[in-house]
Parts: sequence; C-alpha cells; structure tokens
Amino acid sequence: MAVLSIKNLFIEYQTKSGTVKAVEDVSFDVEENESLGIVGESGCGKSTLGTAILRLLPQNAKITGKILLDGVNLLELDNESMRKIRGKDIAMIFQDPMTSLNPIMRVRDHFFELFKVHNPDMKKNEMIKIASEALESVGVDSKRLDNYPFEFSGGMRQRVMIALSIALKPKVLIADEPTTALDVVVQEQIMQVLKNLMKTKNMSIILITHDMGIVAEMAERVAVMYAGNLVELGEIHELYNNPLHPYTRMLLESIPNIKLDDMDLKFIPGSPPDLKNPPKGCKYYPRCPFAKDICKEKDPKTKKIGNRIVKCWLYGDENE
Amino acid sequence: MKTYILTRIGLSIPMILIILTIVFFVLRVLPGNPVLAMLGPKAPPSVVKAMEHQMGLDKPILVQYFDYLKDIAHGNFGQSTVTGMPVLKELMQKFPATLELTIFAMIVAVFIGIFYGTLAAYKLGSPLDVSARIYSIFVYSFPVFWFGLMLQLIFGVWLHWLPVSGESSPFMTPDPTHTGLYVVDAIINGQWDVLKDSLEHLILPSLTLGIVISSIFVRMVRANVVLTLSQQFITAARARGVKEKTVLFRHALKNALPPILTIMGLQFALLLGGAVLTEVTFSWPGIGSYLVSRIHARDFTAIQGTIVFFAIFVAIISILVDVINAWINPRVRY
Repeated sequence: MAVLSIKNLFIEYQTKSGTVKAVEDVSFDVEENESLGIVGESGCGKSTLGTAILRLLPQNAKITGKILLDGVNLLELDNESMRKIRGKDIAMIFQDPMTSLNPIMRVRDHFFELFKVHNPDMKKNEMIKIASEALESVGVDSKRLDNYPFEFSGGMRQRVMIALSIALKPKVLIADEPTTALDVVVQEQIMQVLKNLMKTKNMSIILITHDMGIVAEMAERVAVMYAGNLVELGEIHELYNNPLHPYTRMLLESIPNIKLDDMDLKFIPGSPPDLKNPPKGCKYYPRCPFAKDICKEKDPKTKKIGNRIVKCWLYGDENE
Repeated sequence: MKTYILTRIGLSIPMILIILTIVFFVLRVLPGNPVLAMLGPKAPPSVVKAMEHQMGLDKPILVQYFDYLKDIAHGNFGQSTVTGMPVLKELMQKFPATLELTIFAMIVAVFIGIFYGTLAAYKLGSPLDVSARIYSIFVYSFPVFWFGLMLQLIFGVWLHWLPVSGESSPFMTPDPTHTGLYVVDAIINGQWDVLKDSLEHLILPSLTLGIVISSIFVRMVRANVVLTLSQQFITAARARGVKEKTVLFRHALKNALPPILTIMGLQFALLLGGAVLTEVTFSWPGIGSYLVSRIHARDFTAIQGTIVFFAIFVAIISILVDVINAWINPRVRY
C-alpha cells in the first residue's frame, strides 16, 4: 500500500515575467518502507516537487492535483493541520547543512522545540532520551546535544539534521540533495547513515538528487524528471540496465567511467527549455536524437510498460 | 562569558581615554578664554592671573592634562563657573529626567520598530510593507522640534488631553525620591496620582522622540528580518512543523537582532544627547536643557563635564549592547 501518493500534480510559479511551469502532470506512489530516487538536472522541478509535498513552496507557487498521505489529500488540509504533519509524519532534510540549523540555538533546543510543537506534554527527561537516541542512531555522541551548530562540521551538521528529522519517526523522509554540499568522503558517510536508518526504521525515503551514483546506491526505484515532467520511472536495476526514455539513456551515458579510457566524456547537447515558454510537444524534443514529427506537435502521454512508466512517443501508439 | 565581559570592559578603557583626551585638547584649542568668559572682558590683568592660577590654567598643558585625568578618575568634573557647584552633582540632578525621557522614547521606538519592521518583512511586498517603507522615510524627515510642536498643538492646545511642558505639575513630584525617575519613585511610594501626572507629562515628549527614532528601527528591523527569513534554517524550522509566530520571532527576528541591537544601543546613547531639542521644546528639565543653558552662559567646565559624561555613558551603553549581543549570539561569546 502506498504511504504517499502523488496524482496529477501541477505546480506553477507566477513571476513578473510570466508563468513558470515547474511541475507538469506528475503522478507516482511511494510505497511503505521504500526508497525512491528522484533525479534530473538543475531546474527540472525535483526540489519544487519535494518542497511541495510539505507545502513549503513560496506564496507565488500554485499547486493543483493531489498529494495523498495515507489517503488524506494534503493540499486540502488547513494550515494548522498541515503544520502538524510537518516534522511528524513527513520530515525533510536539506541541501546545505551549514545553514539548515538555527545558528543561535543549541542542538538540544532544536529537538526540544520539535517535540514541544508536536507533543506539548512531553517531559524533559523523555525529550532528552529521544533526542539522544536519535543522535546516537546517526553516529553523533549524545553529549553534543549541548553544542551549537557552529561547533559541528558540515557532515556532522547533516547528521544532526537527519537525527532531528527522524526523531519523531516520520512515515516519509524527503532528502533534498542531502550530500550535494559535502565532499565525497563525507557524502559516503551520510549515505551510510541513511542506509542504516532505512534498514532499522520503518520509513520511506524520497531521495532528490542529480547524482546518478548516489541513486544507484540508495534507491530501490527511480523517477527521472525533465523540464517539470516525469519522463521515466522504474525499478533501479531495470532502469539502469535498460533505460527506455532517450533522456534517461543519455543521462546514464554521460556518467564518466574510469574503466573506459580512450573515450571522450559524453554529454547531452543543448540545454533544458525555458519553462516560461516550453516547446509545444515533448519537452525533450529539441535535444532528442530519436525525435519524430509527432514529438514536435503533441506532448506524449504517460504510458505504463510492465511495472515501468515512460513518457515518450517511441513507445505505444501514436494515434491513441 | 565572564572573560568576554571583562575583555570588553578592558577594551573600553582606552576608548574612554581617547575621548577624554580629545575633549581636553579641543576645548584648549577652541578660541575663547574661560577666565575672561567668567570675569568679563574688562577684568584687570592681576585678577585674571589670580583666577588662572586658581583654576590651574597657568601650569604646563601636560600637567593640566594629567590633573584633568586624575580629577575625572576621582569623579571630579570641576566646578561650574556660573553656579560654583560641582558639575557632576548638577549633572546627576538633571540626569534622571533625561534618562526617564530616553527610556520611554526607546520603549516607543523599539515597540514600533520591532513589530512594524518584523511584520513588514514577513508580509514582504504587501500594502503593510509598503506602508512601513513610506512611514520610515516620511517620519525620518520630520524635524524633532517641529513634530513636538505639532503634538503639543494637537493634544495640548486643541484637544486639551495632555500637558505640553515640564516633567510634572506643581506639587506633583514623588516624595521621597529614590532613583530620581519620577515614574519609578511614584510606584515605589505608591503615589498613584503622581504616577498618573508623570506619565501624562511623559507621553508627548517620549512619543515625539520615540516616533522619530522608530523610523530608523522599522527600516533596520525590516531589512534584517527579510534577510534572515530567506535563510534555509527558516524553511527547515517550518518543515519541522514549528508555528509561524515562533518561526518569525524566535528564529528570524532573534537572528536578525545583533545589528539591530547595535544600532539601538547607539541610538539610545545618541538620544541622551540628541534629546536636547525635545527637552527644550517640552521644557524638560534634563541634561539637554542644562547643556543649552550652560552654552549660553559660556560655562566651560559644565560643557566639558557634560561631554565627558555623555562619552562615558556611550561607552557603558556600548558595553551593555555587546554583552546582550553575546548573550543572544553564541558565536560572539566563544
């Protein structure tokens, strides 16, 4: 049973220079205890999607569609009910651990605040106990509860952020580029922490990243986004071994491989479309080497092939 | 924290010393002989000589300088050339009135500044925000004395709601005095009619000063809160379900405070001196009025003493501000 289900989600930003279609008709399910990767290049709408689930987008964002958490549409909740879901049922960690903790609050007070918000009656020793456990579970000494954020390194701060977000045992953890701002060694450590958590806690993770390697290591299923569209979704090995969408294929080919010397680095020519004036048909059409006439005219429908989803005219009937 | 405070106090000693030195030499360099100012231009030379000797003005300037430092260290600001009273004693008599006015003006300014500024930052681009920006430019351009006169005209002359001058009505002073602050003394003594009278007298001058100063605060608070609100820890706090009010005041405003506090501290100190216009407009018997009357009387020791007094006060306030900042912001104190 899907713990989180996103149905026909559209997100638009109203800006002075026009409407930006950041997310267009995206649907997918997150199963219980599953880790789902969302990949795509900068500006493809993956972070917008992650932030929208918590309804934390700026005022100028317009969301339509459905975001169902255990069957409840989050987009229809009033602000107060939504607030109570944040941090308790759905938690989020962010890209830059250096700035995600309040610099003038002790780590302890971050935890206490979280606990008080969701359970005003919690006793102090209980709060310390849960906070210590959460910290220990991500490899941080519980003595460090008394420290301020600036007394931690970047990697340690991200651990603290993770501890904070899992302390109330949320059903879903959204990790928005959790390792992007960290060096590779620390990246690996943080990935290990997240992996351990997945094994021990009953929790689904949505991992938003542009790093195909991290997704391969962490996720069970991957959603590939391009220009606000979900172009492909599938089980990780299937998708990596047999990418259906041309974009996925080229994205995977562009990963440098040190085993193959003598080869130029592959890349996808061109750049993503302007989301204020997206192309009429398929968004990937201008960069796609397999483009057909219809791609230019009509946006492809999302098709289900086995347990995979793909949005491309190469599959299925053009006359549907 | 203790080391920080001690270091901070240690650091202000050279600062005060520099100010004292500047005040001393500027007053020596300025044209005008204090002795002639006292005795009149037609005083016979022998009397002038005797007076100079009595005041120590015939000694070498360095000796005078060190005598002056020694006197100030002993709390001796010299004697007024007009009244013959110790300047420090006169200042201490006038100081509570100024302090009272300044504190109430600061309360007005901080209250308007914090709430208007924070809400404007929160509702960035809304009519409320636009009104805050207009308010701060508009009010900042008010001359203090003009604004004071307008309030006097409206609330005193036309509406007859509030008294327009003085610190209290006749026979309405707290007795006995403890702090010299009428409001505080009246509360200590339980003299509620005196308290009411003092507050009525305080309203117009503190509104005048407070509103004019608040314009700077509104701008400062707005700009700094806009900055902190855009930071990731704000989104992160929201993502943990923290209430909007807490996000705004505990997370955003508190992080925006250090620069705001610094400006507020400086303003507080400036107010003590800058209250001159307000004090004169409202016949407020504080240090501002004192300074003006002594400048008219060419009372050099009193002028020098008042400046030194202000300088030391500014130094103390800035220590306090730094300590409060360190208390709020752990990165300062470590």
